[in-house]
Amino acid sequence: MTTRRNALAIAFPLAFIALLTTVAVALAAGGGSGEKPHAARHPAAFAWLHPASVPAGWTTVRLPGSAARLSAPAGWKAAAGDPGTRTLVSRGPSGQIVGYLNATPRQGDENAADWAGFRVAHNRGEGDREVRRLASARHLHFRSATGSCVIDSYLTSSGNRYREIACLVAGRSSTTVIVAAAPPSRWHFEGPLLRRAVNTFRT
Amino acid sequence: MLIYAKRVAAMLAVAGLFAGGTVATALAANHHRHHHHVSAIPQHNGGDHDSDNNGGPSDGDGNT
Repeated sequence: MTTRRNALAIAFPLAFIALLTTVAVALAAGGGSGEKPHAARHPAAFAWLHPASVPAGWTTVRLPGSAARLSAPAGWKAAAGDPGTRTLVSRGPSGQIVGYLNATPRQGDENAADWAGFRVAHNRGEGDREVRRLASARHLHFRSATGSCVIDSYLTSSGNRYREIACLVAGRSSTTVIVAAAPPSRWHFEGPLLRRAVNTFRT
Repeated sequence: MLIYAKRVAAMLAVAGLFAGGTVATALAANHHRHHHHVSAIPQHNGGDHDSDNNGGPSDGDGNT
């Protein structure tokens, strides 16, 4: 009996420690990126997303070698960007960006299932701070395509704060990322235009 | 009774090993999740000259 008690006295604490370790590591694995896997998913935040035709007077640019087309309100200008991408911006009186649209062919490990996590991690990786994932959703409908989207905000290392809608959109022949961003202070004005631009996006 | 106690201890030890395996798997998965940060484009015009290198909004590049 003494031997049995000794064995159990050793085994049970070990098992308890193992159990605690498993729980702790599982929590750390889920929260290590700063993201809670089931948090911030608010499909209602994308209720505005409905495929729409391009309004009259808007500018449309096509990505080279791709079916993707990015549209923006009149007055938005093309801006320099990576090869194979297109960027359209609206600037304020002092030249600061007040509205931003970018379309980029899928380049890396992005996928529909992990898009929101990928995007906020990417922004952090670029040096952005205070990155906050506000909402995300999958299986959203675009023009002849489906996509995953995230709404997040961040502060660049240069001190500029932005809020963005970023979507990974998969069409029949191409998968493209569309980013629509504006300073939070301008979101009340630019937000409706950015949402409309996302609605008209096709790939 | 002694045999029973040894069996219980053995099973708990196996559970401990399993937990250790879970630790390694979870850490490996977490490491993989952050792998694509390595080649991120820096700000302050340190990368490929798009707006996100200069304090502008982040573009849609995937770090390739």
